[in-house]
Amino acid sequence: MNRVVVTGIGVVSPIGSTREEFWSGLVEARSGIGPITRIPTERLNIRIAAEVRDFDPSQHFDSKRLGMMDRFSQFAVVAARAAVKDAQLDITEELALSAATIIGNSGGGLNTVDDSYFKLYGENATRAHPLTIPRLMGNAPSSLISMDLGLKGPTFTITSACASGTHAIGQAFQMVRMGQVQMALAGGTEAGITVGTMKAWEALRVMSADTCRPFSRTRSGLVLGEGAAIFVLEPRESAVARGAPIYGELRGFGMSADAGDITALDPDGAARAMSAALTDAKVNPDDIDYVNAHGTGTALNDKGETAALHKAFGDSAEHLAVSSSKAVLGHTLGAAGALEFAATALALHHQTIPPTANFEEPDPDCDLDYVPNTARNAPLELAMSSSFAFGGLNAVLVLGRA
Amino acid sequence: MSDQHAAAAKPAAIIDDVRSIIAKSLNISVDRLTPETHLDELGAESLDVIEIVFAIEEKFDITIPLKADEATRLTTADKGGGSQDVPFSTVGEVAKIVEKLVAAKTSKAAQ
Repeated sequence: MNRVVVTGIGVVSPIGSTREEFWSGLVEARSGIGPITRIPTERLNIRIAAEVRDFDPSQHFDSKRLGMMDRFSQFAVVAARAAVKDAQLDITEELALSAATIIGNSGGGLNTVDDSYFKLYGENATRAHPLTIPRLMGNAPSSLISMDLGLKGPTFTITSACASGTHAIGQAFQMVRMGQVQMALAGGTEAGITVGTMKAWEALRVMSADTCRPFSRTRSGLVLGEGAAIFVLEPRESAVARGAPIYGELRGFGMSADAGDITALDPDGAARAMSAALTDAKVNPDDIDYVNAHGTGTALNDKGETAALHKAFGDSAEHLAVSSSKAVLGHTLGAAGALEFAATALALHHQTIPPTANFEEPDPDCDLDYVPNTARNAPLELAMSSSFAFGGLNAVLVLGRA
Repeated sequence: MSDQHAAAAKPAAIIDDVRSIIAKSLNISVDRLTPETHLDELGAESLDVIEIVFAIEEKFDITIPLKADEATRLTTADKGGGSQDVPFSTVGEVAKIVEKLVAAKTSKAAQ
């Protein structure tokens, strides 16, 4: 079995689209949440989101290629290019044949769906654009990355709502570990801030109208975000041989299903995924220094996740540093697990815990150390990144210091 | 139009509509629903309550400011421009809020 390391990180995020900007935004608790600018908001009750604001697709793609790309694919390809560059990777033909591309997303090409339906139903258009289907298909980001970089190995998409990115990284980790592929590009992408999806999220009544305050007593719900994070995963041996930068070593992956409620987090199911990841990594609960939580900022998630952490970590939970990046990044759904895995890898790399931003006051139901508002320097050997999806699907990764 | 709304706003009619919406949503007999019946006693989970609220909003063309996290209470605007917390857990409490919102809508339409 190979030891698997992360050698490249590429992000497109509400707080910036370089690794440096992304990390400084997290550490400085600089929230990307603000008034929605990209879509008409007259019909929305919730008018805030964490949008990617500095993204000009024409700087990255020619008009022919752009014509076949929904925004979620644009994010994914830009992040994938950045990850490969960051990893200082030269993709030879031999490597390309054995490179996996596994990308998560939850909604498909939602901007394309919304625009296309608006034209058909709202403007009575008689026909749809001929590239509507290639743009909106859920596998478009994986396919367009493989086309852009010439990667010819196993390539597919994983969709598990808010856990999609984590499942995708976990799957790629297992394939590199088993030696099925020589490297993998893995991560998640989402661009779902449209009138149609905002109205649908509003109807669930879990959205905050002001901001996202994970684990704080005053939390008022989640805020949607968009973005992508893609990683280069490869065997430690090859990374060391070519002198590549190593951000961290993937140590364990755990998954579970609640087989219960369609939306509410089940502490038992979440704890089983955490324990499975610890077992896979062959480590004990008290070996974990930091958890990047799912932490959506809804009353139920944050309370349930805290209960799950108590269940999985027992007495060690008291010494655990836990933070949520969603106050800064919003909830980027299929990209969330990937962007938060980037936060976790960079925390190990910089030996710094990014804080839970917007933390106002403690909640008796959330009684752990959430690293409120201010980043903390700490010796970090092992960290965990958790994602819990609608549909009761849980995925947890354990990452070690390089 | 306003006459019809005024007729529909009668409290007795509203609670009957609310009862039949809840009964249909939870697939139970309407006879089981008295004003004192608690929704959670009937096995209504958070998503059930959200679906019931949606059906009521559609029926009466009103907006009920309920959040999934606090499905047994809700915060409504009071007359002074502030907000107040009201219970939202029994059939009667739901009907009372609907009556209030329908009345507010009718008086607004009449202005």
